[in-house]
Amino acid sequence: MNTLEAEYRQKFELALGPLAVALEAQLREYFSQESRIDRIVARPKGVKKFVQKAMILENGVLKYSEPMRQIQDQVGARIVTFYLSDVERVAAIVEKYYRPIETRDVIPDSESEFGYFGKHYIFLMPKNLLKSDVDKSLVPDVFELQVKTLFQHAWSEADHDLGYKPGGKMPGADQKRLLAYASAQAWGADRVFDELFQTLAK
Amino acid sequence: MAIEYIHSYLVHPGKSGGHTSQIKGTTLAHSGKLFDLLNEIYVTSETQCDIAISFNQGEDGSQKNACRDLFIDYLGTPNLVRGRRIAERLETVTTRRSGLGLLFVIAGKEGRESKFVISRFPTDTAILAEEKQEELSVQFLERVFMKSAHSYKAAVYRDSSKAGFWTGRAVDRQINDQVTQASAYWIGEFLASDFEVTAAAGTRIFAIALRNAARDTQDVSIKSEIAAAVTLAKSLKGRKSNIPGFEAMMNLSPKVRKAINEYASDHLDDQFQLDWAEFSQHLAYRSIELDNGGMLTAESSKFDDVFHREQLRGSAAEVRFSTEGRVVGERLGKSKIDKLGK
Repeated sequence: MNTLEAEYRQKFELALGPLAVALEAQLREYFSQESRIDRIVARPKGVKKFVQKAMILENGVLKYSEPMRQIQDQVGARIVTFYLSDVERVAAIVEKYYRPIETRDVIPDSESEFGYFGKHYIFLMPKNLLKSDVDKSLVPDVFELQVKTLFQHAWSEADHDLGYKPGGKMPGADQKRLLAYASAQAWGADRVFDELFQTLAK
Repeated sequence: MAIEYIHSYLVHPGKSGGHTSQIKGTTLAHSGKLFDLLNEIYVTSETQCDIAISFNQGEDGSQKNACRDLFIDYLGTPNLVRGRRIAERLETVTTRRSGLGLLFVIAGKEGRESKFVISRFPTDTAILAEEKQEELSVQFLERVFMKSAHSYKAAVYRDSSKAGFWTGRAVDRQINDQVTQASAYWIGEFLASDFEVTAAAGTRIFAIALRNAARDTQDVSIKSEIAAAVTLAKSLKGRKSNIPGFEAMMNLSPKVRKAINEYASDHLDDQFQLDWAEFSQHLAYRSIELDNGGMLTAESSKFDDVFHREQLRGSAAEVRFSTEGRVVGERLGKSKIDKLGK
């Protein structure tokens, strides 16, 4: 695992950081004339988080036999937009400029549950995003892009911060219900604001 | 660099269905003239295959592509059975118009990477002439397969991990054949792929390069040539090429191409389909500024229809523009409207 960490750290420093900066700049260009975009961010996956993910076990064996190639969010981007109906508008633009190998609407497993919501893509990394002489073998094949509303983003950021710290407390049953309750509130707020937008602003 | 396995299959048209697949295949030896030909194809594949392609995602949005799965399966254990599944896939998308084809499936190792080349030779007829001692023998040959034919197709993939193999390179000499739809057959249907550079992404780079070259040059003739080319660019809508290819279609002079290419130097090999909506979005308006302070602006595609240009006698550089219409708007501003470039 030390070898993997060292290898990823080198990749992080030489390629992933500059790639995230270049990708964010490119996304900002694509959306420069678009309204109701709250933020566009891209970041490389931190070394500790990568190593944690690489150590995940499934049925007692490592989930990733080749984590350097199989973990696909080494560079991740997020576009946050105002209203629910904006998500498809943003989706149409990113699908115009990037080649997807995966598209997912992430929703809770059951209609009676509340939790994480978002539109996720795995896109091929554009060629020649970096003009420098970065070793091409350090450039990942793909990047992850998430499209979220403001409320989806707020819930997912807070949930991630509260729920998944290594060595921290895991939420109990009531606390999970509170998280689900907050997600339901965010879901409802999205619908209210989208309805208002459709009625008042268009 | 070494070929490890070559399998070959005769693939009949099967798109219309209604027949039982009877694909015959064979394993080829690694010696002789046929091997030499195939080895040359293998070695030069990355330069011959000039279109960067990538596999499509599954119809349900998953990371599942039937053709990619067959290729990875073959590379796992290259044999006649696994290669035949690739040939069967090709058969299901081959129309009678495309006809009989001879398919070669080649696997090799390049250091830590596996390399996979797939190549389809179309069928043709030929005449064999043989000089014997006292006479000339002339024979008509059916089922001759020639690499130089206009419908030759191939693809190459190379990676060190099964998690990769999402991108490759292809050659399809019928790529711009929009009459027979042959252009969709190899890359779209068989390889279940598309150009790695999307139409919008490639077109955007090209359009912005044109705009910036026109904006930044001091050479009026370069500005004029680019402006004229943009006016006529709608005829290239839907065509597939790279930036040098489109420049050739526009008959641009070498100095203009050099000016444009400086703004797209990292992307000159990118093959893409010209997206007219994207192109016109970045080059929507054309402006001409005269030395008398006047500025004329109109939609690029209509500029020459809106403004009539007349060369004034006795002067190579002096021109008169004229136009007619009803005034529908008038504006005051604090600065000159930015010209070609914003």
